[in-house]
Amino acid sequence: MSTKGKSEELFTNLRFNLENIRNREGIIGYILRNSKSATVDINDPTKIIDYAMLSGESLDIGDEASEIFQLGSINSVVIEGNDFKILSLVIEDQRLSIFMDRKVDHNKICKELNLTKHSQKPNLSSIQSSEENQEQTGIEVTS
Amino acid sequence: MSEDMYANALKTALTEVRNICPEVTRSFIFNKEGKIIAETTQDTETSTEKAINSFQNLIEKAEIMGGINTFLVNGNKGMVQFSRINDVYLALSASKKADMAYIQSVARTIIPTVMKLLENIVSTSLKSVSPSQNMVAETLTGLFSGETAQVDNEILKEWSKNPNNAHIDEIEIETASGKTARCKVKAISEREFQGKGLIRIPEKIYRTLKVEKGEAVKVKPITREGK
Repeated sequence: MSTKGKSEELFTNLRFNLENIRNREGIIGYILRNSKSATVDINDPTKIIDYAMLSGESLDIGDEASEIFQLGSINSVVIEGNDFKILSLVIEDQRLSIFMDRKVDHNKICKELNLTKHSQKPNLSSIQSSEENQEQTGIEVTS
Repeated sequence: MSEDMYANALKTALTEVRNICPEVTRSFIFNKEGKIIAETTQDTETSTEKAINSFQNLIEKAEIMGGINTFLVNGNKGMVQFSRINDVYLALSASKKADMAYIQSVARTIIPTVMKLLENIVSTSLKSVSPSQNMVAETLTGLFSGETAQVDNEILKEWSKNPNNAHIDEIEIETASGKTARCKVKAISEREFQGKGLIRIPEKIYRTLKVEKGEAVKVKPITREGK
Protein backbone atom coordinates (compact mmCIF):
# COMPACT_ATOMS: atom_id res chain seq x y z
CA MET A 1 0.00 0.00 0.00
CA SER A 2 1.29 3.52 -0.82
CA THR A 3 2.17 5.97 1.96
CA LYS A 4 -0.77 8.10 0.96
CA GLY A 5 -2.98 5.05 1.24
CA LYS A 6 -1.54 4.14 4.64
CA SER A 7 -2.04 7.68 5.90
CA GLU A 8 -5.64 7.67 4.71
CA GLU A 9 -6.21 4.27 6.27
CA LEU A 10 -4.79 5.47 9.59
CA PHE A 11 -6.93 8.61 9.39
CA THR A 12 -10.01 6.47 8.77
CA ASN A 13 -9.16 4.05 11.57
CA LEU A 14 -8.51 6.86 14.02
CA ARG A 15 -11.73 8.54 13.03
CA PHE A 16 -13.61 5.32 13.59
CA ASN A 17 -12.07 4.91 17.06
CA LEU A 18 -12.71 8.56 17.85
CA GLU A 19 -16.37 8.21 16.92
CA ASN A 20 -16.67 5.44 19.52
CA ILE A 21 -14.84 7.51 22.11
CA ARG A 22 -16.88 10.59 21.19
CA ASN A 23 -20.11 8.98 22.39
CA ARG A 24 -18.77 8.37 25.88
CA GLU A 25 -19.81 10.40 28.88
CA GLY A 26 -17.64 13.43 29.51
CA ILE A 27 -16.17 13.71 26.00
CA ILE A 28 -16.57 17.26 24.72
CA GLY A 29 -15.20 16.65 21.24
CA TYR A 30 -12.12 16.07 19.14
CA ILE A 31 -9.98 17.50 16.37
CA LEU A 32 -8.15 15.13 14.05
CA ARG A 33 -5.94 16.48 11.30
CA ASN A 34 -3.12 15.62 8.97
CA SER A 35 -1.49 17.54 6.15
CA LYS A 36 -4.49 17.07 3.88
CA SER A 37 -7.60 16.60 5.98
CA ALA A 38 -9.17 17.63 9.24
CA THR A 39 -12.18 16.41 11.14
CA VAL A 40 -13.63 18.52 13.93
CA ASP A 41 -16.43 17.36 16.20
CA ILE A 42 -17.04 19.69 19.14
CA ASN A 43 -20.15 20.07 21.32
CA ASP A 44 -20.17 23.84 21.05
CA PRO A 45 -19.48 24.94 17.45
CA THR A 46 -18.86 28.54 18.55
CA LYS A 47 -15.70 27.36 20.30
CA ILE A 48 -14.18 25.48 17.38
CA ILE A 49 -11.60 28.16 16.57
CA ASP A 50 -10.50 28.51 20.20
CA TYR A 51 -10.25 24.76 20.57
CA ALA A 52 -8.35 24.39 17.31
CA MET A 53 -5.84 27.05 18.38
CA LEU A 54 -5.41 25.38 21.75
CA SER A 55 -4.97 22.00 20.11
CA GLY A 56 -2.27 23.31 17.76
CA GLU A 57 -0.54 25.23 20.53
CA SER A 58 -0.48 22.25 22.89
CA LEU A 59 1.33 20.07 20.36
CA ASP A 60 3.68 22.86 19.25
CA ILE A 61 4.65 23.63 22.83
CA GLY A 62 4.90 19.91 23.48
CA ASP A 63 7.46 19.78 20.63
CA GLU A 64 9.38 22.71 22.11
CA ALA A 65 9.32 21.17 25.58
CA SER A 66 10.52 17.90 24.14
CA GLU A 67 13.48 19.65 22.55
CA ILE A 68 14.34 21.66 25.68
CA PHE A 69 14.03 18.77 28.10
CA GLN A 70 15.28 16.15 25.63
CA LEU A 71 12.19 13.99 25.90
CA GLY A 72 12.52 12.31 22.50
CA SER A 73 9.50 11.96 20.25
CA ILE A 74 6.20 12.90 21.84
CA ASN A 75 3.79 10.18 22.88
CA SER A 76 1.18 12.43 24.40
CA VAL A 77 0.48 15.90 25.74
CA VAL A 78 -2.10 16.43 28.45
CA ILE A 79 -3.34 19.84 29.55
CA GLU A 80 -5.63 19.94 32.53
CA GLY A 81 -7.53 23.17 33.08
CA ASN A 82 -10.03 24.22 35.70
CA ASP A 83 -12.94 23.46 33.37
CA PHE A 84 -11.80 20.56 31.20
CA LYS A 85 -8.72 18.76 29.91
CA ILE A 86 -7.15 17.95 26.56
CA LEU A 87 -5.32 14.85 25.46
CA SER A 88 -3.21 15.48 22.36
CA LEU A 89 -1.44 12.76 20.44
CA VAL A 90 0.80 12.53 17.41
CA ILE A 91 0.21 9.23 15.64
CA GLU A 92 2.38 8.96 12.53
CA ASP A 93 1.38 11.99 10.46
CA GLN A 94 -1.91 12.45 12.31
CA ARG A 95 -2.29 15.04 15.06
CA LEU A 96 -5.31 14.76 17.27
CA SER A 97 -6.71 16.39 20.36
CA ILE A 98 -9.56 15.08 22.46
CA PHE A 99 -11.37 17.49 24.77
CA MET A 100 -12.96 15.96 27.84
CA ASP A 101 -14.22 16.56 31.35
CA ARG A 102 -11.57 16.38 34.02
CA LYS A 103 -13.02 13.17 35.48
CA VAL A 104 -12.51 11.17 32.26
CA ASP A 105 -9.59 8.71 32.35
CA HIS A 106 -7.38 10.08 29.55
CA ASN A 107 -4.79 7.30 30.03
CA LYS A 108 -7.38 4.72 28.98
CA ILE A 109 -8.22 6.71 25.85
CA CYS A 110 -4.54 7.21 25.12
CA LYS A 111 -3.92 3.46 25.22
CA GLU A 112 -6.91 2.75 22.97
CA LEU A 113 -5.76 5.24 20.36
CA ASN A 114 -2.19 4.05 20.43
CA LEU A 115 -3.44 0.59 19.48
CA THR A 116 -4.53 2.14 16.19
CA LYS A 117 -0.95 3.25 15.67
CA HIS A 118 0.46 -0.21 16.29
CA SER A 119 -1.92 -1.75 13.77
CA GLN A 120 -0.13 0.29 11.07
CA LYS A 121 3.22 -0.36 9.45
CA PRO A 122 4.45 3.12 8.64
CA ASN A 123 7.19 4.12 6.25
CA LEU A 124 8.42 7.40 7.71
CA SER A 125 10.55 8.46 4.76
CA SER A 126 7.60 8.06 2.44
CA ILE A 127 5.40 10.06 4.81
CA GLN A 128 7.85 12.97 4.62
CA SER A 129 7.81 12.74 0.86
CA SER A 130 4.02 12.64 0.91
CA GLU A 131 3.90 15.76 3.09
CA GLU A 132 6.16 17.59 0.69
CA ASN A 133 3.71 16.93 -2.10
CA GLN A 134 0.69 18.29 -0.32
CA GLU A 135 -2.54 18.31 -2.20
CA GLN A 136 -5.72 20.20 -1.55
CA THR A 137 -6.66 20.29 2.11
CA GLY A 138 -10.10 19.04 3.13
CA ILE A 139 -11.72 20.05 6.40
CA GLU A 140 -14.82 18.43 7.77
CA VAL A 141 -16.63 19.97 10.68
CA THR A 142 -19.25 18.15 12.70
CA SER A 143 -21.12 19.57 15.63
CA MET B 1 11.97 37.89 54.52
CA SER B 2 14.27 38.64 51.59
CA GLU B 3 13.69 37.19 48.15
CA ASP B 4 16.99 35.32 48.45
CA MET B 5 15.89 33.55 51.60
CA TYR B 6 12.56 32.66 50.00
CA ALA B 7 14.32 31.35 46.88
CA ASN B 8 16.82 29.38 48.93
CA ALA B 9 14.07 27.75 50.96
CA LEU B 10 12.25 26.69 47.81
CA LYS B 11 15.47 25.54 46.18
CA THR B 12 16.12 23.36 49.20
CA ALA B 13 12.61 21.97 48.87
CA LEU B 14 13.22 21.17 45.20
CA THR B 15 16.50 19.47 46.10
CA GLU B 16 14.66 17.38 48.69
CA VAL B 17 12.14 16.31 46.05
CA ARG B 18 15.05 15.20 43.89
CA ASN B 19 16.64 13.34 46.78
CA ILE B 20 13.40 11.42 47.26
CA CYS B 21 12.87 10.94 43.52
CA PRO B 22 16.29 10.61 41.84
CA GLU B 23 14.61 10.20 38.44
CA VAL B 24 13.91 13.95 38.47
CA THR B 25 16.29 15.55 35.97
CA ARG B 26 15.29 19.19 36.22
CA SER B 27 13.07 21.25 38.46
CA PHE B 28 12.23 24.89 38.86
CA ILE B 29 9.50 27.17 40.15
CA PHE B 30 8.36 30.33 38.39
CA ASN B 31 5.56 32.83 38.77
CA LYS B 32 2.83 33.86 36.33
CA GLU B 33 4.97 36.71 35.04
CA GLY B 34 7.65 34.19 34.07
CA LYS B 35 10.13 35.11 36.77
CA ILE B 36 12.12 32.14 38.04
CA ILE B 37 11.73 31.94 41.80
CA ALA B 38 13.83 28.87 42.46
CA GLU B 39 15.62 26.23 40.45
CA THR B 40 17.92 23.37 41.18
CA THR B 41 21.55 23.74 40.24
CA GLN B 42 21.55 21.32 37.33
CA ASP B 43 19.43 23.67 35.27
CA THR B 44 20.80 25.83 32.51
CA GLU B 45 19.23 29.27 32.49
CA THR B 46 18.74 29.54 28.75
CA SER B 47 16.62 26.45 28.34
CA THR B 48 14.68 27.15 31.53
CA GLU B 49 13.69 30.59 30.28
CA LYS B 50 12.80 29.23 26.87
CA ALA B 51 10.57 26.62 28.48
CA ILE B 52 8.85 29.26 30.58
CA ASN B 53 8.24 31.48 27.56
CA SER B 54 6.64 28.60 25.70
CA PHE B 55 4.49 27.73 28.68
CA GLN B 56 3.36 31.34 29.08
CA ASN B 57 2.12 31.32 25.49
CA LEU B 58 0.06 28.29 26.36
CA ILE B 59 -1.35 29.94 29.49
CA GLU B 60 -2.75 32.75 27.31
CA LYS B 61 -4.41 30.33 24.91
CA ALA B 62 -5.74 28.20 27.76
CA GLU B 63 -8.00 30.86 29.25
CA ILE B 64 -10.86 29.12 27.45
CA MET B 65 -10.36 26.11 29.75
CA GLY B 66 -10.31 28.21 32.91
CA GLY B 67 -6.53 28.38 33.14
CA ILE B 68 -3.99 25.59 33.35
CA ASN B 69 -3.56 23.35 36.35
CA THR B 70 -1.18 20.87 34.75
CA PHE B 71 0.64 20.46 31.46
CA LEU B 72 2.26 17.09 30.87
CA VAL B 73 4.43 16.16 27.91
CA ASN B 74 5.22 12.48 27.63
CA GLY B 75 8.07 11.54 25.32
CA ASN B 76 9.78 8.26 24.53
CA LYS B 77 12.87 9.33 26.50
CA GLY B 78 11.31 11.22 29.38
CA MET B 79 8.56 13.51 30.53
CA VAL B 80 7.99 16.99 31.88
CA GLN B 81 5.11 18.32 33.88
CA PHE B 82 4.22 21.90 34.70
CA SER B 83 1.74 22.18 37.53
CA ARG B 84 0.22 25.12 39.31
CA ILE B 85 0.75 25.42 43.04
CA ASN B 86 -1.16 28.39 44.43
CA ASP B 87 0.17 31.39 42.49
CA VAL B 88 3.28 29.75 41.05
CA TYR B 89 4.14 26.99 38.62
CA LEU B 90 6.35 24.02 39.33
CA ALA B 91 8.18 22.38 36.42
CA LEU B 92 9.58 18.90 36.86
CA SER B 93 11.20 16.76 34.21
CA ALA B 94 12.07 13.14 34.75
CA SER B 95 13.45 10.13 32.96
CA LYS B 96 11.15 7.70 31.18
CA LYS B 97 11.25 5.12 33.99
CA ALA B 98 10.00 7.63 36.56
CA ASP B 99 6.57 7.42 38.11
CA MET B 100 5.41 10.98 37.47
CA ALA B 101 2.30 10.52 39.61
CA TYR B 102 4.51 9.62 42.59
CA ILE B 103 6.92 12.49 41.91
CA GLN B 104 4.02 14.90 41.70
CA SER B 105 2.50 13.65 44.93
CA VAL B 106 5.84 14.16 46.70
CA ALA B 107 6.41 17.58 45.16
CA ARG B 108 2.85 18.70 45.76
CA THR B 109 3.24 17.83 49.42
CA ILE B 110 6.66 19.34 50.06
CA ILE B 111 6.51 22.53 47.98
CA PRO B 112 3.13 23.86 49.22
CA THR B 113 4.13 23.04 52.81
CA VAL B 114 7.31 25.05 52.47
CA MET B 115 5.45 27.87 50.75
CA LYS B 116 2.81 27.95 53.46
CA LEU B 117 5.52 28.01 56.08
CA LEU B 118 7.27 30.88 54.32
CA GLU B 119 3.99 32.79 53.98
CA ASN B 120 3.37 32.40 57.70
CA ILE B 121 6.83 33.71 58.45
CA VAL B 122 6.22 36.68 56.16
CA SER B 123 2.79 37.25 57.73
CA THR B 124 4.34 37.79 61.10
CA SER B 125 6.41 40.65 59.70
CA LEU B 126 3.34 42.33 58.21
CA LYS B 127 1.11 44.65 60.16
CA SER B 128 -2.11 46.41 59.51
CA VAL B 129 -1.91 50.19 59.69
CA SER B 130 -5.61 50.87 59.73
CA PRO B 131 -8.78 49.05 60.77
CA SER B 132 -10.50 47.00 58.11
CA GLN B 133 -13.02 48.74 55.92
CA ASN B 134 -16.18 47.33 54.35
CA MET B 135 -16.27 47.50 50.57
CA VAL B 136 -18.39 46.05 47.80
CA ALA B 137 -16.76 43.38 45.65
CA GLU B 138 -16.57 43.90 41.91
CA THR B 139 -14.69 41.64 39.52
CA LEU B 140 -11.74 43.03 37.60
CA THR B 141 -11.34 41.32 34.27
CA GLY B 142 -9.29 41.88 31.18
CA LEU B 143 -5.96 40.99 29.72
CA PHE B 144 -4.04 43.32 32.00
CA SER B 145 -6.06 42.80 35.16
CA GLY B 146 -3.02 41.10 36.71
CA GLU B 147 -3.08 40.44 40.43
CA THR B 148 -3.59 43.97 41.72
CA ALA B 149 -6.90 45.02 43.25
CA GLN B 150 -8.27 48.52 42.84
CA VAL B 151 -9.93 50.80 45.41
CA ASP B 152 -10.82 54.49 45.44
CA ASN B 153 -7.84 56.81 45.46
CA GLU B 154 -9.35 58.70 48.45
CA ILE B 155 -9.22 55.51 50.49
CA LEU B 156 -5.59 54.94 49.56
CA LYS B 157 -4.79 58.50 50.64
CA GLU B 158 -6.64 57.99 53.91
CA TRP B 159 -4.73 54.78 54.59
CA SER B 160 -1.44 56.52 53.89
CA LYS B 161 -2.10 58.84 56.84
CA ASN B 162 -0.57 56.30 59.19
CA PRO B 163 2.04 57.00 61.89
CA ASN B 164 4.90 56.09 59.54
CA ASN B 165 3.36 57.78 56.48
CA ALA B 166 3.96 54.49 54.72
CA HIS B 167 2.58 54.19 51.21
CA ILE B 168 -0.01 51.43 51.04
CA ASP B 169 0.44 49.04 48.16
CA GLU B 170 -0.83 45.85 49.73
CA ILE B 171 -4.14 44.79 51.26
CA GLU B 172 -5.83 41.82 52.81
CA ILE B 173 -9.36 41.00 51.67
CA GLU B 174 -11.65 38.97 53.92
CA THR B 175 -15.00 37.60 52.82
CA ALA B 176 -18.05 37.03 55.00
CA SER B 177 -17.23 33.31 54.98
CA GLY B 178 -13.79 34.04 56.44
CA LYS B 179 -11.70 33.42 53.31
CA THR B 180 -8.77 35.79 53.02
CA ALA B 181 -6.41 36.80 50.26
CA ARG B 182 -3.55 39.24 50.14
CA CYS B 183 -2.72 41.23 47.05
CA LYS B 184 -1.31 44.46 45.72
CA VAL B 185 -3.58 47.47 45.50
CA LYS B 186 -3.80 50.62 43.43
CA ALA B 187 -6.34 53.35 42.70
CA ILE B 188 -9.36 52.68 40.51
CA SER B 189 -8.57 54.10 37.10
CA GLU B 190 -11.96 53.89 35.40
CA ARG B 191 -14.31 56.73 36.35
CA GLU B 192 -17.47 54.63 36.26
CA PHE B 193 -16.22 52.59 39.22
CA GLN B 194 -14.97 55.50 41.33
CA GLY B 195 -16.67 56.82 44.47
CA LYS B 196 -18.95 53.82 44.94
CA GLY B 197 -17.11 52.10 47.76
CA LEU B 198 -16.05 49.31 45.42
CA ILE B 199 -13.06 47.06 45.50
CA ARG B 200 -12.26 45.69 42.06
CA ILE B 201 -10.77 42.26 42.63
CA PRO B 202 -8.77 40.50 39.87
CA GLU B 203 -10.63 37.50 38.51
CA LYS B 204 -8.15 34.95 39.83
CA ILE B 205 -8.38 36.23 43.41
CA TYR B 206 -12.14 36.58 42.94
CA ARG B 207 -12.31 32.87 42.23
CA THR B 208 -9.99 31.99 45.13
CA LEU B 209 -12.17 33.93 47.55
CA LYS B 210 -15.36 32.54 45.99
CA VAL B 211 -16.85 35.98 46.41
CA GLU B 212 -20.03 37.13 44.65
CA LYS B 213 -20.41 40.41 42.80
CA GLY B 214 -21.93 43.00 45.16
CA GLU B 215 -20.89 41.05 48.26
CA ALA B 216 -19.50 43.06 51.16
CA VAL B 217 -15.89 42.27 52.01
CA LYS B 218 -13.51 43.58 54.64
CA VAL B 219 -10.39 45.24 53.28
CA LYS B 220 -7.38 45.90 55.45
CA PRO B 221 -4.32 47.92 54.34
CA ILE B 222 -1.00 46.29 55.12
CA THR B 223 2.50 47.57 55.42
CA ARG B 224 5.65 45.67 56.08
CA GLU B 225 7.51 46.00 59.35
CA GLY B 226 10.20 48.64 59.14
CA LYS B 227 8.50 50.60 56.34
